[in-house]
This record gives sequence, structure tokens and C-alpha cells, in this order.
Amino acid sequence: MADKNEILEEHISSEYKYGFVTDIDTEFAPKGLNEDIVRFISKKKNEPEWMLEYRLKAFRHWLTMEEPKHWAHLDYPAVNFQDISYYAAPKKKPTVNSMDEVDPELVKTFEKLGISLEEQKRLVGMESKIAVDAVIDSVSVKTTFKEVLAEKGIIFCSFSEAVHEHPELIRQYMGSVVPYTDNYYAALNSAVFSDGSFCYIPKGVRCPMELSTYFRINSSGTGQFERTLIVADEGAYVSYLEGCTAPQRDENQLHAAVVEIVAQKDGEVKYSTVQNWYPGDKNGKGGIYNFVTKRGICAGSNSKISWTQVETGSAITWKYPSVILKGDNSIGEFYSVAVTNNMQQADTGTKMLHIGRNTKSTIISKGISAGKSNNSYRGLVRISKGAKNARNFSQCDSLLMGDKCGAHTFPYIEIHDKSGVVEHEATTSKIGEDQIFYCNQRGIDTEKAIGLIVNGYCKEVLNQLPMEFAVEAQKLLAVSLEGSVG
Amino acid sequence: MNVMTENKLTERILSGSEAKLVSLAGNASARKNALDEFRRMGVPTKRHEDYKYINPEGLFRLGEFMAKANVVRPVTSHDVEEMTIAPGAAKVVIVNGIFIPELSKLDRLPAGVTVKSIADAVVSDAIAKKYHSTIANDSSDAFIAWNTAMNESGVFIHIAKGATCNIPVHVVHIASNEAASTFHPRNLIVAEVDSSLNVIESFDSIGPVKTLTNVVTEVMVHKGAKLNHYRIQTEGDAAHQMNTTCVVAESGSNYCTYTFSFGGAWVRNNLNISFTQEHTESHLYGLYVTNGNRVVDNHTIVDHAIPNCMSNELYKGVVDGKSTAVFNGKIFVRRDAQKTNAYQTNRNILLSDDATVNTKPQLEIYADDVKCSHGTSTGRLDEDAMFYLRARGVGEASARKMLVRAFAEEVVNNVPDEAIKAYLDNRLNHLMS
Repeated sequence: MADKNEILEEHISSEYKYGFVTDIDTEFAPKGLNEDIVRFISKKKNEPEWMLEYRLKAFRHWLTMEEPKHWAHLDYPAVNFQDISYYAAPKKKPTVNSMDEVDPELVKTFEKLGISLEEQKRLVGMESKIAVDAVIDSVSVKTTFKEVLAEKGIIFCSFSEAVHEHPELIRQYMGSVVPYTDNYYAALNSAVFSDGSFCYIPKGVRCPMELSTYFRINSSGTGQFERTLIVADEGAYVSYLEGCTAPQRDENQLHAAVVEIVAQKDGEVKYSTVQNWYPGDKNGKGGIYNFVTKRGICAGSNSKISWTQVETGSAITWKYPSVILKGDNSIGEFYSVAVTNNMQQADTGTKMLHIGRNTKSTIISKGISAGKSNNSYRGLVRISKGAKNARNFSQCDSLLMGDKCGAHTFPYIEIHDKSGVVEHEATTSKIGEDQIFYCNQRGIDTEKAIGLIVNGYCKEVLNQLPMEFAVEAQKLLAVSLEGSVG
Repeated sequence: MNVMTENKLTERILSGSEAKLVSLAGNASARKNALDEFRRMGVPTKRHEDYKYINPEGLFRLGEFMAKANVVRPVTSHDVEEMTIAPGAAKVVIVNGIFIPELSKLDRLPAGVTVKSIADAVVSDAIAKKYHSTIANDSSDAFIAWNTAMNESGVFIHIAKGATCNIPVHVVHIASNEAASTFHPRNLIVAEVDSSLNVIESFDSIGPVKTLTNVVTEVMVHKGAKLNHYRIQTEGDAAHQMNTTCVVAESGSNYCTYTFSFGGAWVRNNLNISFTQEHTESHLYGLYVTNGNRVVDNHTIVDHAIPNCMSNELYKGVVDGKSTAVFNGKIFVRRDAQKTNAYQTNRNILLSDDATVNTKPQLEIYADDVKCSHGTSTGRLDEDAMFYLRARGVGEASARKMLVRAFAEEVVNNVPDEAIKAYLDNRLNHLMS
């Protein structure tokens, strides 16, 4: 008994382990948002005229929009958009050529994150290789493996670099999947985005390594607005990873990103996210507002886009990674584990828009609620008229831990073609006493048994993650649920 | 711009309603308050989440249904006879929202069962007074508020403690007017402790004139009572219906509802059931068969406010032509409503490329020791089954009919009353031939 209490005690007192602040000299834009700030950001980044025009158009459109508050199953005070600094960048100009020139504080940050660039560098030529683009306070600071990728013709760089070096690609694809008119936060992002990652896989190329972006909010009083654009040209393949952490702060910070994916004919993009922004403390103080627009388009036939996400962080999560299945025979997939604990709120899911013929989509969503949190799945499956033989399967399971949390399902299914077949099923349950008893009997204590059962429950999704991420995700699940039973 | 036109529409409906208000009997201040609620909420548009797929605003734009006109021809006892569902049932006839005692047949009712006009009951009957307007909340929906403000008549059905009514009570709603108009019948059903009752509500129309029936039915099911409530909608192509049924169920009671939507141009059913005591059970069955340009929208809410209750829901749809079918089932399991069992299934067959199905089975759960599930599927007829039948020499048309019939039969099979079941089977055969 004493032993059990000790373990519980230890778990309950464990805190967000990524909650450090790195002491990097940072340059801020003054707080507030107006056209001057948009011009300031554009100027800071030395952007061409067309980019500024795009930002201003987006900003003017944003002014006409209303903050969406009522439809999602979320409850939070209104965001004061004038109290946020829209630009924060590490002062020392990062370089891309030599590790030695990187700010040592930054290197320490990555070491703490467990993705030391040094280590990554040593991995060159070994089997497990990941190219990393690190974004701190929305400015890309370091992109590794650039040369190795360039040999294959793959472009993987920061968004602002791409604006300068590949303007034709940016102009062609930016806003083609998520136009600035799409929603409130997409418009905001289009106006003030500071950086992000750009990735282009040319025709017929299979990207030899996992591409990865690490996002971190560091400065206080800032918002992070990054943009990711991934283009897989005909027959190309890429697996892309995204990780997010933030320091512990008492205030709420805003993260409004846009991710756009384009898969051309026979192209395939696999996008995996492990989202671990600071969720706030036990009483719901602080934490990140994670309002993200993620969307991919299967533009050509036989293309495929797969979203896998493990959501454990953020005070509020509002995101719906979607796939527009425009090409014939295209495939969209969504695998999600969303864990909420304490006072966290998540309203997440996907949209699968079937337009082409013989399109298929799969949705597997696993929600776990603990503490006083609320966890909602909200999804849309639409079979348009003329989308012959479309097929969708959705499964949304919820696991409740404790009697103060909530688990909700809002699936929208719209079918306009008789040849479509759509199935949706959802269950809600708790961890069975018999399952725990079984484990206890075999000498596995209750806390560990819960970890075991939860991991088993999420297995379908975790299996989709690349190996390195799967290990991290499993640990994250265990950490997120610490202290939720007892 | 949009808000402007929306307000104008609400104002237009309001001014028509206000003018009529003075001529209505009953509690004038209650009517006035309800109309204020209606003004506050306005006519729902497709921007209201609950009316996303079915646009009431568009409905009013088409024709305002405001005229007060005479019936096409007097409804005769022969008409009523034609609308028989269960032979031997006691009949309550409501024409254009008004209870007509002359056409009703109430002599066969056993002791303990009271059936009378709601307009009289809310004045003279203590029980009717107690429950009237307490189960359906004016502030929750504009159509309920509108009904409270404008209703002229309807029926009050009461069954005494421990009584069993051996024949069904059939409420025949008939819409028959010579100019487009709106009716607001209001019904109240109270089943006392340990009573047992079957109520059929049928909706029919005579003539080609556009009508809107905005009916609100309040149901109180006391401890241990058993109530089977059928709603059979077989109106013509000019009839529109906004049907709200609000139910409160007490401990040990069993409320079963069966909704069959076979007709009408525009049908919206709001069915709200709340459990206020433990060990309550409810079953919800629905079948909609649509074709042409018809729109059928079924919204159900089961509110598990307390522990140890059980609800089971099965809705199926056969959707053909250019019709649209909508299903939205909400299950709420409130905090501490432990040991709740709630199941929900919605299945649809699409028979035409121009038909649309929008479905949204929704769960909101705030308790952990519960068993809840929902499932929905939409698709075409099973090709393997089709092949099986064709290979055995069954023609395509008959094979199709057979499979659709079998699909629909699952709901009909849950009807416990043989006479009603026979009627439904007959009706389905007719619909599918």
C-alpha cells in the first residue's frame, strides 16, 4: 500500500518537463496588430512586394471577420489580439553552414528537448536519419541535412528562405489549400506569419529520410504563427514529423499555424505530429491556445495524404487536419490520439471531402479524458455529387478516466451520391476493473496497468507513427495521464 | 444584410401573429410572453446549428402560411374512417389545429382515461394546469414559443393511476385549408403511476394548399407507467410540419416512441426526452421513406440527467428521388449520471444520385461509468445480396424492392401492436410499389 501511494505521489507531483525558458536574446515587435506591424514583419524579413501584398490582403480580410466562439465545444475568455507581440526572433542571426556558429544557448535548448543537433549530425550516414528544421518563436533557426537532401533535388528550408529562393513555388502553392479567407485564424496567420518550413519533393523522388520540424514558443507575451507548406510532386513520397513544446508560463499564449499539403499524381505525404505544448497547470492557469488550420489536397489521381497526430498538450486545442480528395483513387487517412487532463480542452477531428471517383478515407480517433478536462471529436465526411464509389470508415472511441471529465462526439456526415458507402461508429467506456484486476494479479501495479491499457487502446494510431516518434509518444501518454487515477 | 432580412421576416410573422393574438382565448399574458420569446430568438436560419440542413427561413420565404381561411370542404366522418390505423381505437379528430368533438369517437374509452380539448382542460383540469407549458420550454426553441403564443386547441389525454387502456387513443391531425396557413395544435399526455397507454398521432392533409402544422406535444410519464407513442406522418405534398415532442420520464417508467415519416413536403421532428429519476427506460424507433423533393429531418435528444437509466435508439431511412433526409441524435450523459446505458443507431439507404443524407449522431458524456455507443452507416443496396437474388431468377426491380423492404422491416418489427404493424406493412408495400 505504502509503495502504491509513493508511486502515485511521485506521479501526481510530476510536472511539465519541457517548461524551461531559454535565455536567448530576442528581438520583439511592439505588442498589438495593425497594418504597420504587418509591414514591419515583412520588412524584417526582407520580403518581396508580392508577399507584403498577400499579407496586407489577408490582414484586411481578417479585420472583417469575427472571432469564432460559439460553435466549438470550448470555453475560454476572448483573446486580446492587441496584447500579443506578433514577431519575436532570436537576435543572433542563425547560420545554416556550421554547427559552431549556432548560439550555444540554442544548442542547449535542443539538448533539453532531446533532439540535439550535434547528435543528429553524427547520425549522418546511419540508418536512422532525420532532417530537422527548428522553429523557435516562429523563426526558423537551423535546418540540418540540407546538402544531403539537395543532392536529390529536395528542397527543405525555412519558409522565408523559400520566399527568396523559390518564389515561383511559393506563389504557386501558398494559399492554394488554405486560402487566407478560410477562417479567422488562417487569415490572421496569413497576415502575420513569421516563418515556418517549406518542403518540395520533385517528381519521382522518394525522400530518403524523415523530415522534421520542431516548434517552440520561448518568449513571453508572444504568439507563434508559423506556416508549413509541403508539396509532393508526381510520384514523390515524404514522411514529415512535427514536434511542439513551450515553456511554462502563467499567461495563455496563442499558437495559430497553417499547414498546407499538396500531393500531385501518385504522390504521397505522411504527416505526423506529436503536440506537447504547455497545457497549463492543474488549475487551468496558463497554457497554449492551439488554433491550427491543417489541410491537404490530393490533387492528382492515386495520391495519398495521411495525418497522424498525438495531442497531449495545449490548454485548448482547436484543429481539424483535413484532406480534400480531388484526384481519382486518392486516399485520405486520419489517425489521432488526443489526451486531455486537468483543465485541458480539446475540440479536434478531421474533414474528409470526397470529390474524385473511387476515393477512400479512414478516420481512427481515440480520445482519452482525465481530470476535469473536456475532449471532443468533431469531424466531417462529405461525399460530393459525382464522387462515385467513395468509401469512408470512421471509428471514434473515447476513454473516460474519472467522473469529472467529458468526452464528446460530433460527427457530421453528408452524402450526396448513392454509390458512396460511409460507416461511422463510436464507443465510450472506461478502463474496466477486470482489466486492472488482471494486471494487478500478475504483479503490475495499478498506475502501470493504466499505462499499459491506454497504450493498447491507442495502438492502432501509435503504429502509424515513425519509430522515433512512437517511442516518444508512448512516454508522453504515460506522463500526460500521471495522477489521473487513484 | 442577412441579419436585416432575417429580422424583417421575424417581424412580418410577428405582426401577423400579434394581430391574431387578441382574438385568442386563454392566458393573454402567457401568450404575450411567449411571443416575446419568439421575437428574441427569431426564425431559425441555416446558421443555427440545429437547423443547419433544413432552412425554416426559406420555408417562410416560400409562403408565409399566415392567411386565415376556411376549410376546402368540411372533413367528414368518412374521411376520418379512411385514416384509420388501428380498428377499434378511440379517435380524437383535430382539423386545422382545432379539436372537433363531433368527429371524435370517445365512447369506447375505459374508465380512468380522460380525453378532452386542451383549451378546456387548462381552465378546468388541475392536472392539465399543472403540466401545461412546463415540459416544453418556450425559451428553448422559437417554434415552441410560437405555438404557446398562438395555439387554439389540441387534446389533453390523461390516464389514472394503475389504469390500463386496452384500446389505443388515436389523435387524427388533418390539415385542410383553401389558402396557405399555419396551425398550432398543442397536446398534453399525462400517464399516472403504473398506468399503461398507447397513443397514435397521425398527420394527414386534404387538398393541394400549402399548410404548416406547428404541433407541440408535452408528455409526462409518471413512475412505473408504460406509454407507447406512435407518430405516423402521411401528409400530402403541400403539407409542412414542425413537430415538437417533449417528454419527462420518471423512475421505472418505459416510454417507447415510434416515428414513421412517409409523407409531407417538409417534415421536422424534434423529440426531446429527459430522465428525471433513476431506473427509467426509453426506446426510440424511427423510419423515414422519402422521394421527390421532400425534406425529412429528425432531431432527437435523450438527456440522461441522473444515473441508472437506459435508452436505445434506432432510426432508418430509405432516401430516393431528389429528397433530403437529416438525422441528428444527441445523447447527453450529465455529470454523475453513472451506470447509464445509451445506444444509438442510424442507417440509411440512398437509392438515387440526386438524394442527400446528412447525419450527425452526437454524444456528450460527462460521466465515466457508462456504456454508450453510436453507429451510423449510409450506402447503396448490398450488391452481394442483389446478386444472390438475381442469380436465383428474381428480377432486378423485385429484388430491389425485397431488399429495401427487408431494410425497413427492422423498424416495423419493433412495433408491439399487431394492428398498427399490419397498417405500416400495408403502407410500406404501397409506397414501394
